[in-house]
Amino acid sequence: MTGVKRVRTHRAASPWLFLLPGLGTVAAFNLYPFLTTLHKAFTDARTLTPGSWVGLRNFRELLEDEQFWVALRNSGLYVVLVVPFTVLLPLLLALLVQKRIPGVAFFRSAFYTPVVASVVVVALIWEWMLDDRGLVNAVLRVLGAGPVSFLGDEWLLLFSAMALTVWKGLGYYMIIYLAALANVPRELHEAAAVDGAGALRRFTAVTVPAVRSTMVLVGALSSVAAFKVFSEVYLLAGPTGGPAGQDTTLVMLLQRTGTGLNGRVGYSSAISLIVFAVALVLMLLVLRADRRDGQDAQDGQDLPHRQGGPGPKGGRA
Amino acid sequence: MPIRRGALAATVPLLVSALTLTACGSGGSGSGSGEGGGADGKPEGDITFQTWNLRSNFKDYFTGLVAEFEKAHPGVRVKWLDQPADNYADKLGADAAAGTLPDVVNVSPDLSYPLAKAGLLMNLDKEAAAAKFKGEYTPEAWQGNVLPGLDGSYSFPWYLNTGPLFYNKTLFRQSGLDPEKPPKTYDELFAAARTIAERSGGRTATLGGTPAVEDFGRYGVKLMNDDATRFTYNEPKGVELLTAYKNLYERGGLDPQALTNTPDKTGQKFLEQKVAMNPGSAHDLENFKKSAPGLYRNLGITDAPNNTGKPNMYVMGLGINSRSKHKAAAVAFAHFVTDRKNQEAFAHKVAVFPSTKGSLDDPYWTKDDGTDEGRVRVASAKMLKGAVNYTPVVLSEEMKTVLKNEVAKALQGKKSPRQALDDAVAQSNKLLKQG
Repeated sequence: MTGVKRVRTHRAASPWLFLLPGLGTVAAFNLYPFLTTLHKAFTDARTLTPGSWVGLRNFRELLEDEQFWVALRNSGLYVVLVVPFTVLLPLLLALLVQKRIPGVAFFRSAFYTPVVASVVVVALIWEWMLDDRGLVNAVLRVLGAGPVSFLGDEWLLLFSAMALTVWKGLGYYMIIYLAALANVPRELHEAAAVDGAGALRRFTAVTVPAVRSTMVLVGALSSVAAFKVFSEVYLLAGPTGGPAGQDTTLVMLLQRTGTGLNGRVGYSSAISLIVFAVALVLMLLVLRADRRDGQDAQDGQDLPHRQGGPGPKGGRA
Repeated sequence: MPIRRGALAATVPLLVSALTLTACGSGGSGSGSGEGGGADGKPEGDITFQTWNLRSNFKDYFTGLVAEFEKAHPGVRVKWLDQPADNYADKLGADAAAGTLPDVVNVSPDLSYPLAKAGLLMNLDKEAAAAKFKGEYTPEAWQGNVLPGLDGSYSFPWYLNTGPLFYNKTLFRQSGLDPEKPPKTYDELFAAARTIAERSGGRTATLGGTPAVEDFGRYGVKLMNDDATRFTYNEPKGVELLTAYKNLYERGGLDPQALTNTPDKTGQKFLEQKVAMNPGSAHDLENFKKSAPGLYRNLGITDAPNNTGKPNMYVMGLGINSRSKHKAAAVAFAHFVTDRKNQEAFAHKVAVFPSTKGSLDDPYWTKDDGTDEGRVRVASAKMLKGAVNYTPVVLSEEMKTVLKNEVAKALQGKKSPRQALDDAVAQSNKLLKQG
């Protein structure tokens, strides 16, 4: 009897034992800091003082903080303007380099290079190019156009940073699309071609539906990444966030208020909770859109294997 | 169920990344000295000593110091640490929160203020073993480390630095200005900048950045009230200075990217000869010699423009961790590093100045030896006598950003200079009150 009992407890405990290292890491490095942040957001903690409970004061102050609204606007704009490009351009790029023609491997690696390059190095190169006396303005001058102050104007600065983000992300999302495209049956394209569909029609009727869930994934990943943008703007616009701080993003504001010896840890924790909440909402919105699309697709062109299990869609998402 | 599983698969990484992002806690800390070993015993034990960006250039000097001290005090072992220039405050904050602040730590008054306020640095005036050395330093230097509202000095005075203003003689000559007569006051600076902008057709700017708090100080603006509880730089003189900068910016006297330039970037633009004047430090001379020999041959060196007759001075000090286990050793070592002999030896290696009494009367700082460095050294040492550390110790990094951003709004014409300074003062006062 005891033997049976021992085996049973052993069985119950063993999965947890296997999970322990992973769970422990998550608890120590993710869960605990998150709970601390949650608590700090309602205190007036500083870098060197634990602070005391102040209720919603940090959030009330945030609402009155002009910089917070500027930062929220910039981070929001980043999502709205960057995500369409990071969803569409890499797909087109993937289609370009998907074909098996000699030398295409070179282009695949070339497009992937920006992903591997350090963001600091890349931003320095861009900064040099966009300077008032830099390469881009030298070209403009030859063409007879006046110097454009890419790095002096708050909007041009933000757009330049967005362009940098898109350019740097192209290769990464291209790889994801390449994997998805490899699973699109060639017969579908051939059948569509036989039916007289042109390249554009094949793209909208075959390619896009086949990679839709990948597009959703890319949209979700890139919208959260765009909302949390820091490095590109920080490097191009400087630590103060562009002229008069008008290019500050939420994460930059978080960094500015929460670091240093006198950092307002409570206040910046409140900002990070807001970043967290917005990122979560963004993610849920994208996934909701996916579910609706999925149902539409099922209502329309029924793909039998989708019901069953890991079809192309489920397998990739 | 593939969709639901997809949702889960996508949500988990999101949660994880959001958790990682939002994880910015801080450790607690209490207050108090009196823990650990007393400061007046015999120096013994292992202590740590942290400098700020000095290892790359002065490794031999510091290893020599440590060896000499250990030889004189056989019971003490000193471990020397060095931190890079950037994000030093963050590093100190992390150490302080984790309870691993070094026993002897390189600070400037604005860094020692938050540490001392949290009870992490020793009040040297209150500790007999440290206070007995007070007479060895110049009164200004000791006073420079006294913190408002905290009743005492919290670090041993170490090296002082005025920071020269470099200018490009070629660019001055091309604009018809006398390259041997650089501007001495702010009015002369503005006049020179206007001339340079006009004669170069707007291609050459005179300054790469916007006015910082030191500029307001040197212009004669009263930065704070006497007990350092309120900022006052929005007084008429401050508005006058900002208005002058605004005119200058509109006429091309400042670099087009002045609103966002960092000191690194303005240095680069000076090197590329796009900007005619730039504040710097003696370290820059070597750099100019190596990377811009053409500029180096035509390099002018002067003091920053000044309307008060009192130049700005940067003050470095060595603080003692109030929770050090070996306070006697820490105090003895901090005093050893900052004593007259060792400070003078250090100041011979690089163009900084000792803060010990009588040092600046030494011929090294009073007799011009004919070299560029010698000329600058003697001129700066003479000015140091009346020098002031204009940067208020309670001015945090965030308050500096507030000032920079409001100044930018005034230069862009989005606010009047008066309004911009009123707003900057209001925001900074609010931060100060919370702090």
